[in-house]
Amino acid sequence: MTGWHLDDDMLRRYVERADSLAEGASAEQHLLSCEPCRARVGAAAGGTGLSVIDFAAVWDRTRDAVEVPRPSVFERLLRGAGLPAQEARLVAVASAFRGVWLAGVAAVLAFAALAAAFGHARGVWVFLSVAPVVPCLVVASSYDPWMDPALEPELVTPYPVLRLILLRTIAVLALALPAVLLFGLVVPGETAFAWLLPAVGFVAVVLAASTWFSPLRSAIAVSSVWLAAIWLLAARSGAPEAVLQARTQAGFLALAAASFAIFLVRRRRLHQLRPWR
Amino acid sequence: MATASISLRDVGRTFGATRALADVDLDLKPGVTGLLGPNGAGKTTLLRLLATALPPSQGQVSVLGLDPEVPAERTDIRRQLGYQPQEVGFPRGFTAFAFVDYIALLKEQSQPAARHAEVRRVLDLVGLSGLGAKRIRAMSGGQRRRVSLAQALLGSPAVLILDEPTTGVDPEQRVVLRAVLAELARTSVVVLSTHQTEDVAALCERVIVLDRGRVRYDGPVTELTGQAAGRVWLADEPDPAASISWRTGTGRYRNVGGRARDDVEHVEPSLEDAYLLLRGGSPEHEPAQEAAS
Repeated sequence: MTGWHLDDDMLRRYVERADSLAEGASAEQHLLSCEPCRARVGAAAGGTGLSVIDFAAVWDRTRDAVEVPRPSVFERLLRGAGLPAQEARLVAVASAFRGVWLAGVAAVLAFAALAAAFGHARGVWVFLSVAPVVPCLVVASSYDPWMDPALEPELVTPYPVLRLILLRTIAVLALALPAVLLFGLVVPGETAFAWLLPAVGFVAVVLAASTWFSPLRSAIAVSSVWLAAIWLLAARSGAPEAVLQARTQAGFLALAAASFAIFLVRRRRLHQLRPWR
Repeated sequence: MATASISLRDVGRTFGATRALADVDLDLKPGVTGLLGPNGAGKTTLLRLLATALPPSQGQVSVLGLDPEVPAERTDIRRQLGYQPQEVGFPRGFTAFAFVDYIALLKEQSQPAARHAEVRRVLDLVGLSGLGAKRIRAMSGGQRRRVSLAQALLGSPAVLILDEPTTGVDPEQRVVLRAVLAELARTSVVVLSTHQTEDVAALCERVIVLDRGRVRYDGPVTELTGQAAGRVWLADEPDPAASISWRTGTGRYRNVGGRARDDVEHVEPSLEDAYLLLRGGSPEHEPAQEAAS
């Protein structure tokens, strides 16, 4: 913006379309960035007998049409599921809901499910390794500063960080759990559902751990421990029954409850930058 | 409307064994306050404390009469706060409008028409009219800096904390931004850190110089500049008596500090001269008495 403005003659010629092509283009370019001159257009048009239009309102609608971003598919889904428009936007903004990332996750799950369907026992181990860690990795990526680089300005707004994280977590779970269940349909036997409670437990562990460490690092650590445990189990027993036992499943439920309690107790840590940032 | 204010009492902040701030006592009122200091002086840490992004390790911070340690009061502060961090990453694929609109949503501006009007207003203020639909990744560094400033200006906050707002911004836009900040500072507390002493000289009535986490100077800009009066002179050669000398565009040497001879040509000191003198005449000088305890 400069101190130069359209003079009355130029403005009149612009409104009456009596200017040259070059002068008109120049005037229009200036009007794009100069609110005071735009405000004078209405008066100039009135003086010529043209119908008086609320140019400011027209201009605002034009800018809205050009500038206001269209809601993503996921955002529209969230709205359809009953989430208010503004919260649907806040949730859908997360990197975890980008098409490329989701497509990658779906591809990994599809591979694991197909391996289980056609690869017999080894394939089932692959599915059991992958399925429980997918939700916690996606949850972590929905609020990790590495994936969400605008954390610092987001943090100092009045919007509750806890609410934002939980909304995104619920949205991730609403998306990831049905997807894994769907892929699990091709997995033979009860193993298709054995991942569910471990997955919930790992999500809770990541939430709790992220009050100390970065969410993504926490999720990678949890995933690594799980992969090592599955590898050991597979090497020793060769059958996935150990994961299916009621006691083991109850253990994952207890882990989820304890981790979520820790997360709630330490939630104040989420409201400020932490050293891992 | 109550007068906006910030106060810090005996504030310190440590990160592990590193002391980033120590014994900081400040009272800030409406107006523009500049924060100067070398890299690592604690400027960003101080601004994060003021912006409620970090709690102090010791001492008391009060913003607008509210305590940032109390969750409800911290939320109240954040409703009246604008903060531009030193580095802002932008979510992938975002346009300038989408990013500022997103932050406006987090700032509880839920009514779409009013929010969009406010987003347009702040984009216009920082000279990004017509660029709202442009992807931030396709913007220049200066334009990105202005997008991050635009989100801080949302709602004309009572407290505006800016960490190097003019870095990478061209001179014409810097002048525009100065006018915007000066207008806001009539009623708001504006604190900005910068390495550009000309911005401080042109905009701030008060300057705080930080060094190794401690306040070395806190007072009017004119007073700090006045401390260099009679200690800046031009000569045809670098003067060994000066603390620092450099060749200017005219081919003559600007000498700062030390003891000038009687026959030299004294010149009006700039804020930069005064800042260099305060720092000990050399950008590398670290006064021994200021070592972190």
